[in-house]
Amino acid sequence: MGEFRMTTVEEFEAATARLLETAEKVGADTWQLRVKQQTPHCKFGETGVCCRLCSMGPCRVTPKAPRGICGCDAAGIVARNYLTFTAGGAATHSDHGREICHTLHETSADGDYKVKDPAKLIRIAKEWGVETEGKDIYDLAHEMAELALLEYGKPFGTQRFLKRAPEHTQEIWAREGIEPRAIDREVSQSMHMTHMGCSSDHKALIRHALRAGLSDGWGGSMMGTEFSDVMFGTPHEIDTEANLGVMEVENVNIVVHGHDPSLSEMICEVADSKEMIEKAKAVGAKGITISGVCCTSNEVTMRRGIPMAGNFLQQENVVLTGACEAIIVDVQCIFPALGPLSKCFHTKFITTSPIAQIPGSEFIPFSPETAGRDAKKIVEMAIENFKNRKPELVHIPDQKQKATVGFSFEEIIHKLDGVTNSFVDKTGTTLPLVDCVKSGVLRGAVAMVGCNNPKVRPDVAHIGLMKKFLENDIIVITTGCSAQAAAKAGLMDKRAKDLCGAGLKRVCELADIPPVLHMGSCVDISRMMILASEIAKDSGWKISEIPVLGCAPEWMSEKAVSIGNYVVATGIDTYLGVEPYATGSKEVDELLKGGLRDWVEACFTVETDIDKLGDMMVEAIEKKREALGI
Amino acid sequence: MLLFDIVFNGNDKMYDRAVADLEAAIAKYGEDKAVGFPETAYSLPCYYSETGEKIATLGEMKNAMGYIKSLMTRERRLDSGFKSGVATALCAEFIEVLKYIDGAQPYELPLEGHFSDAKIRELGVPLVTGDIPGVAVIIGKAPSTQEAVDLVKSYQSQGIFVALVGECCDQLAEAGYKTGFAVRVVPLGKEINSVIHIVSVALRAALIFGNVTPGDKAALQKYTFERINAFVNAFGPLDEMTVACGAGAIWYGFPVVTNDMEYTPSVPKSLIKFEDVSQWNPISLEARGIKLKITNIDIPVAFASAFEGEIIRRGDMQVEFDGSRVDCFELVQTKELTEVEDHKIEVIGPDIDEWGVGEKHSIGYVVEVAGKNMQPDFESVIERKFHSYINCIEGVMHTGQRDMIRVRISKDAYEAGFRLKHIGEVLYAKIKNDYEAIVDKLQVKIYTNPEECTKLRHELAIETFDKRDARLESLTDESVDVYYSCILCQAFSPSHVCVVTPERLGLCGAVSWLDAKATNELDPNGPCQIITKERIIDERTGAYEDVNEAVKKFSQGAVEQVTLYSIMEDPMTSCGCFECICGIEPFSNGVIIANREYAGMTPLGMTFPELASMTGGGVQTPGFMGHGKHFIASKKFMKAEGGIERIVWMPKELKETVAERLNKTAFELYGIENFTDMIGDETIAEDPETLLGFLTEKGHPALGMDPMM
Repeated sequence: MGEFRMTTVEEFEAATARLLETAEKVGADTWQLRVKQQTPHCKFGETGVCCRLCSMGPCRVTPKAPRGICGCDAAGIVARNYLTFTAGGAATHSDHGREICHTLHETSADGDYKVKDPAKLIRIAKEWGVETEGKDIYDLAHEMAELALLEYGKPFGTQRFLKRAPEHTQEIWAREGIEPRAIDREVSQSMHMTHMGCSSDHKALIRHALRAGLSDGWGGSMMGTEFSDVMFGTPHEIDTEANLGVMEVENVNIVVHGHDPSLSEMICEVADSKEMIEKAKAVGAKGITISGVCCTSNEVTMRRGIPMAGNFLQQENVVLTGACEAIIVDVQCIFPALGPLSKCFHTKFITTSPIAQIPGSEFIPFSPETAGRDAKKIVEMAIENFKNRKPELVHIPDQKQKATVGFSFEEIIHKLDGVTNSFVDKTGTTLPLVDCVKSGVLRGAVAMVGCNNPKVRPDVAHIGLMKKFLENDIIVITTGCSAQAAAKAGLMDKRAKDLCGAGLKRVCELADIPPVLHMGSCVDISRMMILASEIAKDSGWKISEIPVLGCAPEWMSEKAVSIGNYVVATGIDTYLGVEPYATGSKEVDELLKGGLRDWVEACFTVETDIDKLGDMMVEAIEKKREALGI
Repeated sequence: MLLFDIVFNGNDKMYDRAVADLEAAIAKYGEDKAVGFPETAYSLPCYYSETGEKIATLGEMKNAMGYIKSLMTRERRLDSGFKSGVATALCAEFIEVLKYIDGAQPYELPLEGHFSDAKIRELGVPLVTGDIPGVAVIIGKAPSTQEAVDLVKSYQSQGIFVALVGECCDQLAEAGYKTGFAVRVVPLGKEINSVIHIVSVALRAALIFGNVTPGDKAALQKYTFERINAFVNAFGPLDEMTVACGAGAIWYGFPVVTNDMEYTPSVPKSLIKFEDVSQWNPISLEARGIKLKITNIDIPVAFASAFEGEIIRRGDMQVEFDGSRVDCFELVQTKELTEVEDHKIEVIGPDIDEWGVGEKHSIGYVVEVAGKNMQPDFESVIERKFHSYINCIEGVMHTGQRDMIRVRISKDAYEAGFRLKHIGEVLYAKIKNDYEAIVDKLQVKIYTNPEECTKLRHELAIETFDKRDARLESLTDESVDVYYSCILCQAFSPSHVCVVTPERLGLCGAVSWLDAKATNELDPNGPCQIITKERIIDERTGAYEDVNEAVKKFSQGAVEQVTLYSIMEDPMTSCGCFECICGIEPFSNGVIIANREYAGMTPLGMTFPELASMTGGGVQTPGFMGHGKHFIASKKFMKAEGGIERIVWMPKELKETVAERLNKTAFELYGIENFTDMIGDETIAEDPETLLGFLTEKGHPALGMDPMM
């Protein structure tokens, strides 16, 4: 093992610059160019005061025209926009969860989809009060899938998983009237509330945004995570690699992109078969390399150690390597730009979901019933395409880092069990972590999540903040594109302990973990909610008292706003590096950045100066410690 | 109070005390007054390890206080906590060293205080082999004397080295518990600062065995953290200074277990709180990751390496077997598998019950072994372990070997039910455990009839010994096809490799060529591996391409080439646990040899510890070489430079030990009779001029040889 060295953002950028030369050569446009074309952005849109919910407008609120035609003020317009944004995110995550539940319903002992973690299924079934004794595991899976699907549309009651939260949190939700009911209902109600002539009270709108967010985090996303684990296995520690250098020039390169693991799991399964490897060899390749982009990548890296080619703003780069035989996408965060871009190369751009249909792609509808066949067809297409490579365009940047990933909640507990003393401690709790925090060895934790956004120099905020936290003995848990930024930089290499303060370094050594823990894809932020809840229960602290913060410094999607809402509504202060479209109303802005605290004991902080953001967070953690007297 | 604040306060207190003591000492003696601990080459060992700077005077100590103060940062981060812990340790060392001014002996037995370098080197081999699986540092007052005794005994019976600080020293004394370096239960002192003496052992181990460069703080911490299996047991009520010392311990990787449930928070694997002291042993072992070599031996007394140094005085003994007065012997015999009934132990003749208290008797015990991989060559390898096996029995003392053994069994052991068959049980269990790959079946016959002992001694034992000696005589570096590497010490000395040949045993003195061969047989991928000797480079120096390749491989590239017979050209490295060191003496063109036990001055102007500190840790130091005692009489001893003729000085005791064999070699090689008479010792000279005079008078051959440099 050589010396450990981080890869810097400057080095990422140098690699990208080299790929952009290829783009120029083939006449492809890229997001870097489109950002220039789109800047400056519309100020009305950016501050959230543009309303186009009815055809009397569009209305734009200015000091001279303080109300829309219907009479809605800035606060109402901004809050309505905020709620529709949230609803979009909640619908998206939850619909992903719904797909997983449907796939669970398709599982069978001899089918393409199986129950790989029956113990987890039984655990959840018991939690839901479902009889498990003497039941065939697949019967149970189908029964649970139906119950889970009912969570989307049940006429009465609230989300089943809310019971996982500490009592105090549940009380807050009840008190504030934000316990999410059926998921679809919260999304529908969002759209209803924002309809012309419904709510214009910004507090009512924001309150519902929290509720819609909670239906995602404690409903749709959590089911997506939990039932993915049931089917594909609960992640455990596994070694992998990250950044474009994981693509192998001699191999057939298949890149999976999107969010839903159902397809990618099957692709990995098929590509690993002897038959496919033989076929790859027959066309002159050495083998098949699957790598990933975005959260599909996170799903398969967590469970299979499939390497991560990159995060959101690298999706064009994988095509620009000229060595990508196929980029196969499912849903969410897929640039339509991949259509024209792939045409400049031999790359097959394959869409698979009716939810994400994109011009310039080959659409191969993928369904759980025919998953194995579909996957095989797709892999074969990629193999066939190997011979069409244009060698003069091939350049894979020699850049990758080792990463140890797979830190599901269960795996974190397993690691914590490893530092207990069998004569002294109970196992299966978060107490070792609590003890580290109480004693000051760790100052706290930050959950780093979210996307890339060209408004922030890509990955700089993720990596810069993480480094600051590590130096300050603050452990980082992460998901999504933030996780991939960390992995690319090398922060998920166990040797990154040397970048940490003495306390975190010691924790890494004793628990044998990297200082930045990969918890999965963006739906897996639900894992973080479970972790926070268990810490609260074990420590006796309220979630809002724990020295833990959320942070999405480069967020961009509607999903991110939905996430922000449920993280805050769960009691975790959340720090953003990009403004939500809400500064156009002082009332809404102040509510989000302060007033929410009276409702749910947490709120948002937005600071676009990333260094300052980091300092504020370190200070906030120390404040929480002081309040606890630790 | 917050944990870090406790540490900071404790650090401040220790610092204030160090400042006050130092000022008082300066006021009394002046800044030029020399300071230092006795019998160490590492100055103030902790300060030297941490900073790379040696301190020799009170004035230098005063300057060093500035460095210590610079460690005392007060941020609410563990880094500050750790640094303050180290600062506390350094202050404690300063406080302690001031007690030793002018050769004072501040500690009286049973209190030990400072450990000499020689003692640390003595601990090297057992630490490496796991015979000492760990070091327990017990601080404060146990809830009851009985609990103190039980805890100490629990560790001692596992072979764990126990250091005691504070009131537990008194508790053990009160209980009449036998303590001392020999039994590996060592009361250090009564003040918390005396804990530094065991910290000093850990840090010097890093320098001696780990080749850590003094002042390389990161390497020092990595070494202690990864390789020194120490831990702390601190009885409540804790105080700030103890917790500050604990922070230092945790920095170096030593977890702390305490029964003070209120004073501090707990920290996983580092600061563990548990009220019931009777559980501390397994808690501590688990916390430090110490795995014991489990040998379950069915005997009524304890069995642990800690008892190896136990002495049984005449008044305490129930019975004695003395090979110098009556016929005694011990023997391993290879048998066919069909001839041996596994685990059969026979006592042929009277047992201890039938003798009066304090009587002398004959004994002969024969261990008959059989196994598909057993070779007669391994008999002596196994037999040589008897000394350690039998000595590890609580209440049994064993010295010597072959037919010159002496065994004493204490009254306490006898009263506990110990009988002769238990010697058989111990031999059975240990041999089966240590040599499982070569011994399939084993039975023990213990003879106590004087006539039978006499007969078997002469007809069986001596005959076997003679045969073995003849075989050993024929084993030369030239007569064998392969040598062996030995990296047993790499747990401690990561880049050291011994090349073991028939005429050059491992420098620790513990691994002969036959031992290495047997070890290789036990585990072909283990610490001793075959080195071929096919591609010779230079016969004079004993340089081989094969050997170089092996050394490079096993040292992970740290050492590229070694010679077998030269101390000047690519000499073999030393781990630090060598029995002897030789170094060139330029006035006489010779070398002097000092052994670990020798505490005095040598004509080189350096003591053994100082000489030893020149080498060790797996580095090559031309002109100095660590080696085993047995090697001194070898025909291959620095053969490239002319051989044993170069030896001009040795401590008297060592000279007497090796005289017979050395004189024989000298006669065979050079025709010199009574060569040792020409070799100086400390009674003759401790300086080069006097030595030269003596050598000239004796006509020592080295004087006429070419200079080595």
